[in-house]
Amino acid sequence: VQKAIIRVIPLKVEPIVLEGEFASVAEVTPAEGKLLQSHPLSLCNTSEDEHTESGFITIVKLEQPDRDPNPCLSLANKAKLAGERGARAILFDITDDESAADQLRKPRGLSQPVVLIRGHDAELLMGVVNKNREAHVKIEVKEPPAWPDYDVWIL
Amino acid sequence: MHPNVSQGCQGGCATCSDYNGCLSCKPRLFFVLERIGMKQIGVCLSSCPSGYYGTRYPDINKCAKCKADCDTCFTRNFCTKCKSGFYLNSGKCLEKCPDGLEANNHTMECTSIVH
Repeated sequence: VQKAIIRVIPLKVEPIVLEGEFASVAEVTPAEGKLLQSHPLSLCNTSEDEHTESGFITIVKLEQPDRDPNPCLSLANKAKLAGERGARAILFDITDDESAADQLRKPRGLSQPVVLIRGHDAELLMGVVNKNREAHVKIEVKEPPAWPDYDVWIL
Repeated sequence: MHPNVSQGCQGGCATCSDYNGCLSCKPRLFFVLERIGMKQIGVCLSSCPSGYYGTRYPDINKCAKCKADCDTCFTRNFCTKCKSGFYLNSGKCLEKCPDGLEANNHTMECTSIVH
């Protein structure tokens, strides 16, 4: 799994650095832009979003699967739709829907990166969203450590 | 607030959550997406706001925006009041009235020519 570094830079507040993982449904590539929340139901063909600018990073907080028994689109197609609407990257908070990781594993070659975030990192990010504080986000590809982790060292 | 069914939900929500607001509405209400700055939440209303029209689907009733040149509409393709600079003609918004009709700048509609 390719790890992602997510730098969240809210206006007038200290930046926070979070970690996520790139979903293989899309390209593994850096991205940056203004953070914008999207309701899960906004990523349906029957919904529009008044936001017309492009060049933003979408964050979608996924709910427990039983709360949306008949999703309008698959998660991969929701990510695709978000990209078509101008998102440079899509962040999915999968804390409440771990099945999302499997749904977004099959490569589809989406050009905008899809990053999964969960747990404490997701809580911090959604905290920024909840305060409705404008923020810029930079998504970077986390380089693997120079020295691979060995369990046993020979001295 | 942990996602839950009704406790703590706004107005007409059937289900809701902290971050997304309404996830589903009580019967007959319309689901509307509301963008407030960076946030986007779901809201449930008894009727769609101005500039939107309602559509009833089997699992959800939704409000969607009228076309860009239309202020109020009945459906996506049937406008009832056009935006400034457009004339209403049979549910459509036109910059110029077709031949045989004249532009009424008072009502902003295309009307038959009175001889």
